Amino acid sequence: MTVTSVSAAATIATDQAVLVRGLRRSFGSREVLRGIDLEIRREEFVALLGRSGSGKSTILRALAGLDKGATGEVFVPRQRSVVYQDPRLLPWARVLSNVVLGLEGEDATSRGRLALDEVGLRAHEDDWPKTLSGGEAQRVSIARALVREPDLLLLDEPFGALDALTRIRMHKLVVRLHKRHHPAVLFVTHDVDEAILLADRVLVLTDGRLSLDLPVQIDGPRLRSDPAFAELRARLLAELGVDELSEGAGPGRGHLHFANPIDVPDSEQEIVT
Amino acid sequence: MTLSEVLGPPVQRGQVIADLAPDRSPSAAPRLIQLPTAEVDAPRRRLQSLRAGPQRLLGVALLITVWEIASLAGWIRPQDLAAPTSVVSMGAHLLANGTLETALWASLQRVFWGLAVGVPLGAVLAVVAGLSRTGENLIDGNVQMLRFVPIIGLSSLFVLWLGVGETAKISMVAMGVMFPIYINTYAAIRSIDPRYEELADVVGLGRWGRVRRIVLPAALPGFLVGLRMAMAVAWLLLVFAEQINASSGLGYLIVQAQTYFQSNVIVVCLACYAILGLLTDVLVRTLERLFLRWQPGR
Ligand SMILES: Nc1ncnc2c1ncn2[C@@H]1O[C@H](COP(=O)(O)OP(=O)(O)OP(=O)(O)O)[C@@H](O)[C@H]1O
Ligand SMILES: [Mg+2]
Repeated sequence: MTVTSVSAAATIATDQAVLVRGLRRSFGSREVLRGIDLEIRREEFVALLGRSGSGKSTILRALAGLDKGATGEVFVPRQRSVVYQDPRLLPWARVLSNVVLGLEGEDATSRGRLALDEVGLRAHEDDWPKTLSGGEAQRVSIARALVREPDLLLLDEPFGALDALTRIRMHKLVVRLHKRHHPAVLFVTHDVDEAILLADRVLVLTDGRLSLDLPVQIDGPRLRSDPAFAELRARLLAELGVDELSEGAGPGRGHLHFANPIDVPDSEQEIVT
Repeated sequence: MTLSEVLGPPVQRGQVIADLAPDRSPSAAPRLIQLPTAEVDAPRRRLQSLRAGPQRLLGVALLITVWEIASLAGWIRPQDLAAPTSVVSMGAHLLANGTLETALWASLQRVFWGLAVGVPLGAVLAVVAGLSRTGENLIDGNVQMLRFVPIIGLSSLFVLWLGVGETAKISMVAMGVMFPIYINTYAAIRSIDPRYEELADVVGLGRWGRVRRIVLPAALPGFLVGLRMAMAVAWLLLVFAEQINASSGLGYLIVQAQTYFQSNVIVVCLACYAILGLLTDVLVRTLERLFLRWQPGR
């Protein structure tokens, strides 16, 4: 596989952040990705859904440039950041050092402080990672991704391990940060509601191919009670092979169910922590 | 007795095994117990920690008293083991005429140089073996093989090669120190979470950045465990080396005392070893507190 910087490929439209053609990946005799074609525009927020084991993380790793065993063509920006499900902080480095890990330049520290400010953790810059709560640690890892000013932000189930209340805060945070820094985003999740709440476009990965590509067209705040929201959810769940009604849990599928308007756009509103 | 007699009749599917379940009627309220919390526990714990120091000292004092009484009563012959009072006065005497200081200084220097050579050597070998496949192949096999050769058995070779001078003794200490340092540091590097490797890729850490920010800090706890073992090994080997051939040092003093049946001098020297061992342990603990602050519970 060749991961190439966008600048290297003159054929690519200037508003594209990701171009993938015929991406394939096998583990042993099992072909996990069977020809993925994917385009993501600059500043676009794309969610990727799929069942467990369908290959979502494999796609994300390929875009991050971490997979040396995939075949096909992959064009991505040079500046990329990854946020994993686990915060993956170095336990022996203080919070601020973790944020600026690998950064060079004398302004690294001040940029790191700003990034911590943005996730509401400025006061914790001298803490050891093991003293942070799960949500705090994940915010640090988001700060570590942001401080690199990525053109492509890759998120692999970043809130999978967090409780429902913290997830809601994190959703607002992610939307706000996206509005401010506008990277292209590939957000891997298995939570349909989360995908609809956050993304401009939702992809579904089934049997090694992108089987569905739906824009999220909901005007105004995205409320789970909105009929358009419900319809989209039904379609995505059907694509994922889950019959919403027979599952019996109803909307939210067992999560705490809140009306959750995403209403924190450009305002400098603080996420209460 | 047959098995079915022991187990009783087989349980049928769907059968309620009422007599196996304890009485769960609502009237049988569980008794509540109070769990230790800070307030509840504090006075007791304070008392315990207050007592700990004196109790330890008391234990030592008790042993020494029994020993003294046994000596006074003539149950222990002075040529076998001198009485504590005799040991203390001999210690004071040796200090006053400078014998003890000279011996201590000679031994300390040997241990210092042994550590100064062996510790960096073990650490560097471990890092090289931990970082590169080639290094691992070249170094690790040798070390794993040599570690089963008793160092004390090697002493004859050292004497053959290096004579009976300082170099032979220092080399032996260095050699013995190298193994615990190498083995523990190498194991720590090997067990670094591979996800950090991926993280290093993602944030674009270079080779030196990886070593400095990931490998060395991750190796440090193992290294310090190795260091503590190394300190113990160093004193052990030194006494041995000094008893075989030396004209100075604590081991030499012991051999001398042995020749003249001065058990009190021997005990003075052993006490010195004990104190030095304790001091070096305190040193490593301090290093651990300093460098491993990030570990929870420190
Ligand atoms: N390094 C590997 N070696 C062998 N098989 C692998 C490897 N990485 C992934 N796989 C396999 O590829 C498939 C897809 O894995 P992947 O991690 O991409 O799934 P996923 O969609 O992210 O699942 P989840 O939602 O559970 O995270 C799985 O069946 C997994 O067992
Ligand atoms: Mg995954």
